[in-house]
Amino acid sequence: MGTFKTQNPGNQPVWVNTSNCKACDICVSVCPSGVLGMKYESTSTLGAMISIDNPESCIGCNECELTCPDFAIYVADKQEYKAAGFSFAKLTDEAKERQAAIIANNYMSLNQGAK
Amino acid sequence: MAFNYDKYLRLEKMPTLWCWGCGDGVILKAFVRAIEKMGVNQDDVCVVSGIGCSGRFSSYVDFNTVHTTHGRTIAYATGIKLAKPDKMVICVAGDGDALAIGGNHTIHGCRRNIDMTMIIINNFIYGLTNSQTSPTTPKGMWTVSQKAGNIDPTFDTCDLAIAAGASFVARESMLDPKKLEKMLIKAMEHKGFSMAEVLSNCHINLGRKNKMVSAMENLEWIDSITAPKKKYDAMTPEEQLNILPTGILKQDLEADEYCDMYAEIQKVHQGERKVITQDDFAKKI
Amino acid sequence: MATREVISTGNELAAIAAVDAGCMFFGGYPLTPSSEVMHVISDLLPKKGGVAIQMEDEIGGICAVIGAAMVGQRALTATSGPGMSLKAEQLGLAQMAEVPLVCVNVMRGGPSTGLPTRVSQGDILQSKNPSHGDYKSITLCAGSLAECYTEVVRAFNIADRFMQPVIVLLDETIGHMHGKADLPTVEEVEAGIVPRKRFDGPAEEYFPYECEHDQPAVLNPMYEGYRYHFTGLHHDKNGYPTEEIETCRKLIQRLEDKVALHEDEVESYEEFMMDDAEVMIVAYGSVSLAAKESIRHLRKEGIKAGLFRPITIWPSPAAKIKEHTDKIEKVLVVELNIGQYHGEIQRAAARLDIEGLFKVNGRPISPYEIVNKVKEL
Repeated sequence: MGTFKTQNPGNQPVWVNTSNCKACDICVSVCPSGVLGMKYESTSTLGAMISIDNPESCIGCNECELTCPDFAIYVADKQEYKAAGFSFAKLTDEAKERQAAIIANNYMSLNQGAK
Repeated sequence: MAFNYDKYLRLEKMPTLWCWGCGDGVILKAFVRAIEKMGVNQDDVCVVSGIGCSGRFSSYVDFNTVHTTHGRTIAYATGIKLAKPDKMVICVAGDGDALAIGGNHTIHGCRRNIDMTMIIINNFIYGLTNSQTSPTTPKGMWTVSQKAGNIDPTFDTCDLAIAAGASFVARESMLDPKKLEKMLIKAMEHKGFSMAEVLSNCHINLGRKNKMVSAMENLEWIDSITAPKKKYDAMTPEEQLNILPTGILKQDLEADEYCDMYAEIQKVHQGERKVITQDDFAKKI
Repeated sequence: MATREVISTGNELAAIAAVDAGCMFFGGYPLTPSSEVMHVISDLLPKKGGVAIQMEDEIGGICAVIGAAMVGQRALTATSGPGMSLKAEQLGLAQMAEVPLVCVNVMRGGPSTGLPTRVSQGDILQSKNPSHGDYKSITLCAGSLAECYTEVVRAFNIADRFMQPVIVLLDETIGHMHGKADLPTVEEVEAGIVPRKRFDGPAEEYFPYECEHDQPAVLNPMYEGYRYHFTGLHHDKNGYPTEEIETCRKLIQRLEDKVALHEDEVESYEEFMMDDAEVMIVAYGSVSLAAKESIRHLRKEGIKAGLFRPITIWPSPAAKIKEHTDKIEKVLVVELNIGQYHGEIQRAAARLDIEGLFKVNGRPISPYEIVNKVKEL
């Protein structure tokens, strides 16, 4: 039984429920600012698992959550997140470049080497 | 706190049986968000699905749900709607389900213009049964039943629905969940038969043998064959040839809705009005 | 028992019976020789706020009926042979998901298009197992105009009791026969309505398919706050699909046992001059009318013949049949097919010397044919 984690685990901009993730790469591909990547995970079905590598770059666009077919990734509600004293990042050139590198790396986290 | 889907899902059925990256899950989420935004009571909604990957849709959502036989979604839904015209009925079917084995019910559901929403998840293939040709499989693609290349002409779901008389016809792909959600809300709010075609991916059973091995490659292909209606209308016929327009393609607010018309039949038999004649209709034939 | 006399046809009486029994929905498709059921009910239902819809095909007809039944309504469909073949898959879903409905089949000559306007009883075995898989069909067979009415009424009560489709067989002769019938009053029919069970406790304690090993599911109407799942797949107590071994076994065994262990509740037959019978004629439907006439002739000639007429033909009144066939040597099954019920009588009697008089040319069997056959025995 998949349990959902719609509750923010502790002032995170974006968080995942690894028991629901099927490692399809879609969230990684839609992220504009290189927050996400896949890491090798031998116990996962496809041998990979989502990894939040650069949460500080998250702009709160919600694209990853909307396009995740499996209820596995969540983004904090903008207003709640602000009320808790945090704010999402602005999209930077550095983040854009990192995102392009991740896509070029076949959606794998940059510290994981090529798939 | 992120958007809370839990209220509308049967959590013990999760995770879904769908493959990794399957668009069905994205459509399921967009549907749940649309229902939440519409503020509809769960008890007042019935989700009817057929057979195929899309058939599992109904077992994951916590509404009144019916998983029917192959292709018969609309026929079951017609009975449900006529028995309780004030409640909401949503049909979910795949391209094979709705256009091949259930093609007859689809065109007659459109013709009757009965108030329900038909979500056709079009992934261009029979996915659940491993890659057989569907009525929307593009010509020249490999399928397990046509290994030499598919030669069957394709249906354009929306053209079919418009011709058959559906009063609301729209198409979106699961590439843009926000647009999809808005379209679903409009489809469900429309009174009459709403045909909502959603283009989706099946990189496992369509893509694997057609050079779209991953979900992303399959989605890029879908992106390449769609264009918003405005952009599509500005294209030359040659450019339009292999493009499917997205957005609301038809909305007729004047068309007679079937349950309303049946209420008139009841009035005739109950002596509250004269029999219905040709004079009662602007469009007779 | 208060009665009323009407002059009508079998098909019309079947439609009137459905409405009197509380039917609020009809879905169907024109199919000779059953179409008159739709013609009549399409006037009667809207009058009392119900719905009769002519769907795009036979399959659509029964699908709509199952849909309406899921919403809690008593619902009827009517058809003949080819339509029955088309409806088969949906009857299977109604068996599996335990949705009650009544399906009237006015039998015509088959197979295929066969003899559309001629009589036959060729759908007997089909009605036992119209769809694939294991389940226990309940099939009633009207043998007179009055029974076209009373059996349809009874079928609705049985459907709601056992939560499954009930087939009522008419044949072309009975369906189109025009004559006098003594019927129970509407008040009496209404007083006899036993609606399906429902669960009234809190929704979180409701498990529609969690029931005793010999009992049907308790399915509350949709849209009333009890959300659950209908499916043709093997399912658990919530109706959710499952492949769990023990759940699957129990489910199918229960579909069998809910009827098999309560056959006495559906059993129905008529014994005509059977008390001293030395020749037992088994006939059902319109053939039984000819059989009765033949028995009067035979008795005049000193041959003590009697009629055993099953009314509930599936499950068959096997114990009662055996009781007679153990005592009576000469047994003749007369039917308008090539021995479809003959096999069942052989099985019930555990005898291979059961005689048969069969006719498959679309014409009724005359009393004289039966008289002559009995004399040959």
